Amino acid sequence: MIEEPYRWVEAIANRREYIETQLAQGSPIAALGYCDGILFLTIGRRSRQKVYEIYDRIAMGAIGHPGDIERLRLAAIELASTEGFTRSAADVSLRRLAHYSLSPVMKGAFEQVYGPPYLARLLFAEVGSTAKEDLFLRVDYDGSLAADGLTGQPRQRFAVLSGTRQSAELMEKFLQKEHVTDAALPDAVNVALEAWSLGRMATSDTKELPERDAIRKYRDEQLASSSIEAAVLERDSKSAIRYRTLSDEELRSNLQR
Amino acid sequence: MDKPPLALDPNFSGASEDFPALLRRKGLLQIAPEPTGAAGGHTFIPTESTTILAFKFAGGVLVAGDRRATAGNTVVYDRADKVLEIDRHSIMAIAGVPATAWEMARVLEHSFQYFRRTQLQEMSVDGKVRALSKLLRDNFGFVMQGVGVVVPIFATYDGNSKPESRLYFYDAMGAQFEVTDYAATGSGSPAVRGILYYENHWGTKKLQELSEDEAVAIALRALDTAAEADTSTGGVDRSGKIFPLIKIVSQDGITTLPEEKIGQIFKQSVA
Repeated sequence: MIEEPYRWVEAIANRREYIETQLAQGSPIAALGYCDGILFLTIGRRSRQKVYEIYDRIAMGAIGHPGDIERLRLAAIELASTEGFTRSAADVSLRRLAHYSLSPVMKGAFEQVYGPPYLARLLFAEVGSTAKEDLFLRVDYDGSLAADGLTGQPRQRFAVLSGTRQSAELMEKFLQKEHVTDAALPDAVNVALEAWSLGRMATSDTKELPERDAIRKYRDEQLASSSIEAAVLERDSKSAIRYRTLSDEELRSNLQR
Repeated sequence: MDKPPLALDPNFSGASEDFPALLRRKGLLQIAPEPTGAAGGHTFIPTESTTILAFKFAGGVLVAGDRRATAGNTVVYDRADKVLEIDRHSIMAIAGVPATAWEMARVLEHSFQYFRRTQLQEMSVDGKVRALSKLLRDNFGFVMQGVGVVVPIFATYDGNSKPESRLYFYDAMGAQFEVTDYAATGSGSPAVRGILYYENHWGTKKLQELSEDEAVAIALRALDTAAEADTSTGGVDRSGKIFPLIKIVSQDGITTLPEEKIGQIFKQSVA
């Protein structure tokens, strides 16, 4: 029995360490605003999908245990679908989904030391009718949230998800420098690929951004054996469903050398 | 601990159930009583006061419906949409009680999307056709009570197994019938069926060989004929310039014909 409070704190700290170790190998995901919407991109093995459609205007990327990702993904789709059915698609909001449902549930699972936590880190984006209404939101395994665009308009218009804090910080540093909010899709794809490569290269003692050539060299090495997985949420789509997957071939055709 | 407003279900197993089952579990979809014969000794009279039709032509499937909604002898609405888009390649046209029909269309639309999003693949055409059949079957208890009869037409483009357009009509119990050429349901449908049969056999061209403009002309003539004898069918309102709703399903998706174009063809070939 864990009776004393400090034991609980200790248990939580152990649990945090365990989960961080488990997630550390996760392949990064970048979500970037571009001229026509939001791009999700990662590189991975073909065996497992990592970017998903949640609802008309919401997409999700995730790293973690496939079983946990699946449970959270299905729960998010279920909530969004019933909300969209009983009210309207316009009433489905990422803010409410994350704040009122996912975050409390994930926090609850994480802190109840007798039950299993969710071994997953999620990245969501919701495309608005204008770029000012876009929302990028990250939900961690402990239910903590990081958002861009929740209060006022999004400032950075990008978000990253990675296995380690170092890797995520480096990717963010890189994107702050290289990301252009109204870039065309091929340019956004190139920046996203480089951000991914950088996040993947980063080790615990990488402090500074590597040279551009080194990043591209690493990217090409990885691309030789893996495939690009990407999807977009298009702003001015004629259909209500804004999510569209991009094929690997389509993406490779305009790779920058 | 109180559940948050949009609580996750701890016993969640989304993959195994379809969307209507999910709605029922959450109490969001009415469950029809068991069909036990007509209530109160009344004889069950099916009322489908409308006319909808669909036929295959050279450019895909054309689906058309008049715009009149009636309650008994009263016209309650003259701009009703009875030809509804369910997804990028599917149309459901409805004859019957609007409340039930629109709800069914809504459930169906969400079912297909829910399936695609959860299962990460598009539902097959056979699966879609069956989903509508199941909704009709589940609704039959209401039909036997004299409320909520729906007799739809379903038109879709099958991009997978054998790329071609497919057309189905249903009865109130949910039986599905695939047709090769045309389908019509609703109170004005006998006249429409007569016209389409005639055109297909003895017209200048078979229905499947018609161009888009020719197909639209025949659809307008058929609805106008139906409206001539059936008070529940709006046909073409010449004074109010209200035209039937016409949509086309093809490989490229669904196109809704603009009113100006329908008006033009009406002037040339019908009026």
